[in-house]
Amino acid sequence: MEDYNESFKNNFFFSIIVLMLSISLSQAKAQRTLTVGGNNWTVPIPSITEAGTNYAGTYESAANQILLTASVPLLLGSGKVSVHYEANPTWNSSLILNARRTGDGTTVCVLCSISGGTTYQPIGLADVELFRIVAIATLASYSNIPIQLQLSGVSVTVPAATYNSRIVFTISEI
Amino acid sequence: MSNFRIFFPVLMIFSCTFLAQTTGNRAVGVTLPVVTLMDIEPPGNISFNFSAPTEAGNPVIAPVSNTSKWLNYTSAVAAAGLPRRITASINQIIPGIDIKIQAAAASGSGGGVLGTPSAQLTLNTTAQTIISGIRGAYTGNGANNGHRLTLTLSANTYANLSARTNTPVVITYTITE
Repeated sequence: MEDYNESFKNNFFFSIIVLMLSISLSQAKAQRTLTVGGNNWTVPIPSITEAGTNYAGTYESAANQILLTASVPLLLGSGKVSVHYEANPTWNSSLILNARRTGDGTTVCVLCSISGGTTYQPIGLADVELFRIVAIATLASYSNIPIQLQLSGVSVTVPAATYNSRIVFTISEI
Repeated sequence: MSNFRIFFPVLMIFSCTFLAQTTGNRAVGVTLPVVTLMDIEPPGNISFNFSAPTEAGNPVIAPVSNTSKWLNYTSAVAAAGLPRRITASINQIIPGIDIKIQAAAASGSGGGVLGTPSAQLTLNTTAQTIISGIRGAYTGNGANNGHRLTLTLSANTYANLSARTNTPVVITYTITE
């Protein structure tokens, strides 16, 4: 009976150690993560009422139109968030999309940093870095990083139609 | 138990790897409508007065041409849409008098595919094209933007002339496909 208890205790503690090791390993192996929240943006274009005039041309979304939550595991140290657009299904290349980071979001990490992307970056068909996160000796997680969008190039010279695109955010290694 | 010890950490590793989300998106949409706007700037009427000759045997003296009016427009068309044109007509013909119009090439602060003026033509009660080939374009607003219009009055068949005062003639401009 005593042997059985001793064996049970050993197995129990070993299981706990295995569990903790598993969690640690999972953190080490985990990828950077990114969650895209906030709202889609339907650009409100005021009607032209005076003959001879054009659209204002440039329109901005709310400062917190898109909210990103990004995390960088301890062992990976850093990550960058990139952005590109995809026509869905039709977009016109004269319509220029830009994005900027209007805040840092929230984090409990004191030694982590978030940088870049506070001025408008043109969004193209290929990924362009918007901002980066650096973790120092801890997990870096930033929630609700506010992103503002801008649309320029709106003109009557662009064929009349409905245009849609997807703004795709990706987190990856620097 | 030993199987569990091996399986559990492996499961944790793979679950975290596969469930991690590294990308996401939000949609952007914009609708650009068809636009068809046109006006004449500056507003207001213009007057033409023929002058009596001072020498016996000479014809009446035609008024100088008026170049004070500018034609402004804004046009947005679909990719497969037809180009626009601008027509002009008058509500009545004055016997013995020709009212001629000529639109100049667009100038000023506009852009896009602006229209091409027709040659000078004599207005009548049937709409005639004075500018054609307009697609997505804007001329700029007000005088000195768009197409300057030159209106000219002249006598045609002298025998049909008669003395008259204050004969209003309305010129109607229309932008159409």
